[in-house]
Amino acid sequence: MNPEILIGLTQATGLIVLISTCVGVVIGLVVGMIPGMTISTGIIVLLPVTFVLPADISIALLLGLYVGGMTGGSFSAILLNIPGTPSASATAIDGYPMAARGEAGRALGIAITASFVGGMTSFLFLFFVAPLLANVALQFRTEDMFAVLFFGLTIICSFAAKSLVKGLLSGAIGLAIVTIGQDPVMGTQRFTFGQVNLMAGVHFLTAMIGLFAIPQLISNLTDVKGAASKVQTRLTSVVPRLPDLKAMRLPVSIGSLTGAFLGILPGAGGPIAAFISYDYTRRASKNPDDFGSGAVEGVAAPESANNAVTGGALIPMMTLGIPGDPVTAILIGALIIHGLAPGPLMFLERGDFAYGLIFSFFWANIFNFIIALAALRLLIKVLATPRALLMPTVAVLCVIGSFALRNNFFDIYVMLFFGLIGLGMRWLDMPVVPLLLALVLGSQLEDNLRVALTASQGDISIFFTSPISVGFLLLSLLSIVWSLRTAWLNKRVVGHSNKESPQ
Amino acid sequence: MRRRNIIAALVLLALTVVYGALTTQLPVRSLPDTPGPPFFPWINTVILLALSLGLLAQGLWAKTLESVASDPDRSDASERWRAIWALGAFVVYLVVLPGLGFLLATAPFFAVLMVLFGEKRWLWVAIGSIAVTVGLYVLFRHGFSVFLPRGILPDLLAVIVP
Repeated sequence: MNPEILIGLTQATGLIVLISTCVGVVIGLVVGMIPGMTISTGIIVLLPVTFVLPADISIALLLGLYVGGMTGGSFSAILLNIPGTPSASATAIDGYPMAARGEAGRALGIAITASFVGGMTSFLFLFFVAPLLANVALQFRTEDMFAVLFFGLTIICSFAAKSLVKGLLSGAIGLAIVTIGQDPVMGTQRFTFGQVNLMAGVHFLTAMIGLFAIPQLISNLTDVKGAASKVQTRLTSVVPRLPDLKAMRLPVSIGSLTGAFLGILPGAGGPIAAFISYDYTRRASKNPDDFGSGAVEGVAAPESANNAVTGGALIPMMTLGIPGDPVTAILIGALIIHGLAPGPLMFLERGDFAYGLIFSFFWANIFNFIIALAALRLLIKVLATPRALLMPTVAVLCVIGSFALRNNFFDIYVMLFFGLIGLGMRWLDMPVVPLLLALVLGSQLEDNLRVALTASQGDISIFFTSPISVGFLLLSLLSIVWSLRTAWLNKRVVGHSNKESPQ
Repeated sequence: MRRRNIIAALVLLALTVVYGALTTQLPVRSLPDTPGPPFFPWINTVILLALSLGLLAQGLWAKTLESVASDPDRSDASERWRAIWALGAFVVYLVVLPGLGFLLATAPFFAVLMVLFGEKRWLWVAIGSIAVTVGLYVLFRHGFSVFLPRGILPDLLAVIVP
């Protein structure tokens, strides 16, 4: 056995790391269930704490939050019909009708169990696939890495946008922002306007705090009362019964495999995996008509899928340095702050840490299952937390997070600037995720592009002679064509519905 | 949304022109046949230009399929004002934060946000804003060694309690 696996297991099983994972899970469950708080916001709020903690403890905390957040989202989806996170949207379709007929405890138990199976399936994916993929990725040359990064960018833009133009524009704006500061090859200052603070460029964590947190804070002002009063806190037994466990077998298998696979694709994310697995399960079910009115399968499939996405999304992050979703983009930032660059070299140079991360993910799923089942009645009381106290705390934590990054007020102003950009983008219905991912990938994209072109003395055919590069460029093309087709189909559907229901 | 697309496209076109103009001023330091520092910004300029024109075209020629029903921002006047107040409070807070220090600047900012988020009990506003501010300060300054600014508070205390 690879000795680094044992070292990683030992690291992840250390008492402080385990406590950190537990704390992360509890925070994740709480953050996930509060409507208006996303997992990304939760991680942003926790970031300043991780700056001062050792890397293994920080990552365990954030992974716990990631896993717990996915499950927590289903609590409010089932109890209030308001998904705590976008990934729990599909869960509400059958979860809420179950709660409405007095089976909230049963629905929550099914959701927690399905989340656990999904999470553990994705752990197995992560454990077996990530090292293999990292080995393959070690053979990649700069032109291949450019193609991989380009693919990551295009697929994210096409998945993230309702309008392809706006999605691509969002990504292009991010790429332009990346050029602020020293250029990655020669170190020449670009667009710094003599500002010393801009010489190192815009730190993407600062940008991200502004992009995500401020628009969310402002949008939460439109629902100041929240939904706390409606919550059903009296629950029947939450431990799933044998007939329910039997009924869950097929949907959980579909959800876990779909989620783990889609998680690997950058940009697919929890919501897509949840809806696709819900749809597959309905088609495979003997009673498809029960879906939508409180079917056990309708809760189990999306919940296993969205938790299975978490491990899948960690695979491209760890092996290629490409984030699978916004949360893994933030995790990349957290790793970089600790001097650890995710990518194929991570398994080679810091195999112990890479396996430690994988085992922390394992423990996060175990704790998530135990804590969610054991402390459910206590946890859902958090849904009654007044927003008047919660949201200002989030705002102040965003300011602290921006400041703590470099103990610099300039970063706070950068955060506010990006908050205004985020508000503008929301006003325009433009997705912010492509911008964020461009900020994460842009510098590497430029670096690999220029190094490859320098090696070939400016000959662009270098990108079309390597089979890996050609493969990823074709995938990029496929991704763009696919999203164009989806946009065209959406337009047709809207056109039809407009014709059928004239004002 | 059409009008917004046109406005956004025009703003982005203007910003792209500025970005392109600044790119022309970047130093060209590179070996023959190799890309220099302006290479990537030029690619960005072309992409931004093409996409901004695409957005403009979408705004000018798109049918009115994206009707008012799909408008993402249909908040009423009071909600809009709350948002403007919150943003204003944020800007003022960030301006005064370095000078006043964390505790003196954060407590009133927190109180304003509590009121904007619907808290009407003034005692709760006072207790909540002070307690959370002090709690966060102690936690981060002493627990996590984040050097949140002290500002003028120590001097003020020295004057009040000589």
